[in-house]
Amino acid sequence: MEQYSEQLNGIFQALADPTRRAVLARLGRGPASISELARPSGMALPSFMKHIRSLEGSDLIRTRKEGRVRTCVLEKKTFAVVESWLSTQRAIWEGRTDRLEQFVLTAQEKEKK
Amino acid sequence: MIPSPNPGLDLTISRVIRAPRQAVWNAWTDRASFEQWWVPAPAKCRVMEMDLRPGGSFETRISENGGDFAPHLSACFLAVDDLERIVFTNALVGGWRPAEQPFMTAIITLRDHPVGTEYGAHVMHRSNADRNMHEEMGFFDGWGTVIEQLATLAERRA
Repeated sequence: MEQYSEQLNGIFQALADPTRRAVLARLGRGPASISELARPSGMALPSFMKHIRSLEGSDLIRTRKEGRVRTCVLEKKTFAVVESWLSTQRAIWEGRTDRLEQFVLTAQEKEKK
Repeated sequence: MIPSPNPGLDLTISRVIRAPRQAVWNAWTDRASFEQWWVPAPAKCRVMEMDLRPGGSFETRISENGGDFAPHLSACFLAVDDLERIVFTNALVGGWRPAEQPFMTAIITLRDHPVGTEYGAHVMHRSNADRNMHEEMGFFDGWGTVIEQLATLAERRA
């Protein structure tokens, strides 16, 4: 369960960014090369690659290299995890707990000053 | 009596917060504090009622993208044990009146821990049949759009 929850954290973190969501939306229409995916973002390739690695790291996409071209594909199995309503609830409660913790710690810092 | 978790319907979260129990309890039970962490920014939360006693009403509203405040949580406290435990359910509203669309009971626990407070949330859900309601709640918490996009993507790929 712990590992599952960590996987979810990674997934939601990867999804929290508009560039990465745009990449997923594009890949929903079929596989695409990195340069094709990078074009609409207007980003330099090295910055864009960070987003690709984040998506790959959370198993939302897979990449494969053919010759000089790296192609990205949506990883369907991972989407099944996110789609389950219980994992949605878990993400909501994890988020609440994160924010509660942050709030309490910040309030304490203020008191010390 | 502590109910044992049902892995298909329940979720449990446990976190050690490096602060005394009183600080965590205050963040939960002070309305202005609660409003600051219950929903993710940029959404805003407003506590309409937080009557901290068994049978007391617990009602929050949410505003997304600067819009009007819409209903979010409508629940009833079942147990409020100072500095230790808060239990609430949306199966009832204030005064123990049965609710229209019940789906969950949450048990929040605070325990002393060597470095602060062990914070726990045990959330029990009614059944998978309620998933539409859950997704609606998910939507209000800002993830709905993402989930919807994902579902659309997954369907397209199927």
